Amino acid sequence: MRGVKILERLLYTIPIMFGVAVLVFLFMRMTPGDPVDIMMGEAGTVAPGEMEQLRKEFHLDEPLHVQLYLFLADAVRGDLGYSYAYKKPVTELIAEQLPATIELALGALLFGLIVAVPIGIWSAVKQYSVVDRLSMAGAFLGVSMPAFWLGILLILIFSVKLRWLPVTGRIDYTAGLQVVTGFYVLDSILTGNTTALVSSLKHLVLPSVALGAGTAAMVARVLRSSMVESLRQDYVILARAKGVRETWVVLKHALRNALIPTVTVVGIQVGVLLGGNMIVEQVFSWPGLGRLAVRAIFSRDFPLVQGVVMVYALTFVLANLLVDILYTYINPKITL
Amino acid sequence: MARARLRALAFVTVLAMVLPLIAACGQAGPTPTPVIVKETVPVTVKETVVVQVTPTPGPKRGGTLIVGLMSPVLSLDPADYRDRQTETVIRNMFDGLVTRTKDNQVVLEMAKSATLIDPQTWEFKLKEGMTFHNGDPVTAEDVKFTFDRIITEKAIEYPEPHTAARKGLIAPLESVEIVDPLTVRFHLKAPWPVFMQMLCHQQIIPKKYFESVGGTKGFIEHPVGAGPFKFVEGKLDDQIVLERYDNYYGGADDLPPVGPAFADRVIFKIIPERSSRVAALQAGEVNIIQGVPSYIVPQLLSDPRLQVKTCAGTRPHFMEMNVKMKPFDDVRVRQAINYGVNVDLILAKILSGYGVRLPGILSPFNNFADPDIKPYPFNVEKAKALLKEAGYENGFSFVIDVSADAKELAEAIAGELRTNLGLDVSVRVWDWAVLRPKLLAGERQATVGSWGDSAFDPVGYLEAKVHTYVEGSTYGRGNYSQYSNPRVDELVKAGEIETDVAKRHEIYNEIQRIVWEEAPMLFLFVPQEIEAAAANVQNWGPSPDGRINLHDVWLSQ
Repeated sequence: MRGVKILERLLYTIPIMFGVAVLVFLFMRMTPGDPVDIMMGEAGTVAPGEMEQLRKEFHLDEPLHVQLYLFLADAVRGDLGYSYAYKKPVTELIAEQLPATIELALGALLFGLIVAVPIGIWSAVKQYSVVDRLSMAGAFLGVSMPAFWLGILLILIFSVKLRWLPVTGRIDYTAGLQVVTGFYVLDSILTGNTTALVSSLKHLVLPSVALGAGTAAMVARVLRSSMVESLRQDYVILARAKGVRETWVVLKHALRNALIPTVTVVGIQVGVLLGGNMIVEQVFSWPGLGRLAVRAIFSRDFPLVQGVVMVYALTFVLANLLVDILYTYINPKITL
Repeated sequence: MARARLRALAFVTVLAMVLPLIAACGQAGPTPTPVIVKETVPVTVKETVVVQVTPTPGPKRGGTLIVGLMSPVLSLDPADYRDRQTETVIRNMFDGLVTRTKDNQVVLEMAKSATLIDPQTWEFKLKEGMTFHNGDPVTAEDVKFTFDRIITEKAIEYPEPHTAARKGLIAPLESVEIVDPLTVRFHLKAPWPVFMQMLCHQQIIPKKYFESVGGTKGFIEHPVGAGPFKFVEGKLDDQIVLERYDNYYGGADDLPPVGPAFADRVIFKIIPERSSRVAALQAGEVNIIQGVPSYIVPQLLSDPRLQVKTCAGTRPHFMEMNVKMKPFDDVRVRQAINYGVNVDLILAKILSGYGVRLPGILSPFNNFADPDIKPYPFNVEKAKALLKEAGYENGFSFVIDVSADAKELAEAIAGELRTNLGLDVSVRVWDWAVLRPKLLAGERQATVGSWGDSAFDPVGYLEAKVHTYVEGSTYGRGNYSQYSNPRVDELVKAGEIETDVAKRHEIYNEIQRIVWEEAPMLFLFVPQEIEAAAANVQNWGPSPDGRINLHDVWLSQ
């Protein structure tokens, strides 16, 4: 039953993606700015007729509906066109950069959860204690601190002053990593390369902290308030009255019920971490999708923007679906 | 009571956490521009060494050079890109028939000789014994193949058939003819005075290898050239790894040392964020970085492990005034603006002195700059008199529309005009892609920006900046002042086909005089290129066209 429902939900993503494709196509073309002019308009030497020829090659001289038709016709075959700037298929560029973005998002999520879950629980249990107040103040700071600022701060302390962790990139070239999946940590494990594993983990730390700080703060606050709420419920009082051990009361009775709102927030955060990492990728020279997207938008590289936005949209849709599926496990009363 | 004490404790703790963060942040963000007024750099000095690192006795082989680049490399195909970053990487892997010295002279690279047989035909003889990285000899076939691929329509088949992006840089080339295995002739459609300058931007690829890997797709996955370094691996948006090619023929004879490169390995890392680039250098993660902001130079110079070098830049900066709109339709107002802004002060404050005044439309480094053209002197009285004459003694208001990167400069100019001439000037920031069409359509009053002059020749540059804007053509494609003077148009076109150097000087001197007099723009300055490196990087220096040639660089430790 659950399998059928999941399949049904997956099928729903097809019209959603179609809508996204049409919208991003139209919005990009409504934005002022001509890709050929941005590419060539300021070039030192431009030959007569060169710009017209480029417009023709990019099909920008065709009427809008023809361009849309060409785009959709290719898209259903899995061909998202080729980037004006890189002269490479969009799907290939995305496939190259996507593992880096996912790896960073997972790193950030892991950091966020490791920090947030104990703090959230502890703060709720010891409500209004010094620990609670300090961690909630810290969480406030985490939510309000811009990631680029935190990133530069981390670089100054841990890279420039202490020289513990690297500033840029994903791995040292000298680690000699054999790339299999594009996820460097995983690849290091798969190929049994310890040097590469250490190097890729070291590179992952600072960007994950910079990106995950906001998530940690958000999750900690939500978890704390839902825990406070559920610790007041009758079943908790009953459990305590029965003489159940306090740890058990907190973890089994209170936490499980506090997880529903938390999982919702984490689900949204997954989307945010995957799609909102442009700045962190820029600061840490992390070769991911966000950097590609920013460049593509400023240079009006239409096919590339379309491709990247579709990936982002798909991420959000899938993250939401995953959250809904998780609900059914946490609370069997909920169905898809 | 206890609760109040707790609250106070919490507050103090949070403060203790926040304060160091705030203090440390001061180091990271753009610190206020230091007010260091430097001596004006004489125009003839093309390279200023800011820090002299004691050179070690002789070149040393070995080591890895890591370079932090400002933006991604767009392609590894020498025929199919148009940006500088890509050229920097490509020209360490591929060589051309000719190249340029740091002071902008064209010298022979793979060619042994170059002869102008008639005004439309150049003959090149190749050096003997040159090989590509796969061991194949370099022949006339490869040269012909390289240029045929560039100039033939739709010759690049991947990912979809299209014309090489570099065709536009050599458009007047009609064909390449093989005379013998080491001799080629280039036939031009018309006499073209800047042919040798433009040929520096074209690099040779191996025909046999290209065909054996099945064309463009295979070639860009593992490019092979005849340059000092061979490709190992790399991703365009991440890093590109090269290794020394031991059988390198040596490079240009006029650019010693001649022979294989010194470094074992070269890694180009893409680090777009400038504070991260500087941090990577400070942390010892990279050896050389480009695009160093001038305000950070004092901080870098205070670190004995680092060195900073500068060279002449290639981007004249100006504020263009729309000559078709009030009040800038009056030449006296435009001249008054030129007299009323203390450009030297702006140069000292915004660029910490790392730049040279722009006397007129041409950069003082341009090969055709007229030395008699001097910058407008700073003279507030004269500016006010001119404004009065034009009927604006009570001033006027206008908006400078700019892209984000020109905001600081525009604010400085606005401040000068407010203080010195009492004008009401404001600055508005736009996305450049949105602003540019409006500027070309003459819908805005003024803008601040720059235009590249990397060929050091007025061809291409004057055509874009001062020729009347002709929609759909290349003429006036950067003419944001809407300037239009039939005599200037005529001279720009005459200069494009004139091959006699003396006559070209005459033509360009006249244009410079007219444009200086009519002042469609406030002439500002040419910023220097600033690069930094670790102290152990030897024989390194930035070049005016932004290219980093690593062939001659070595590491002393």
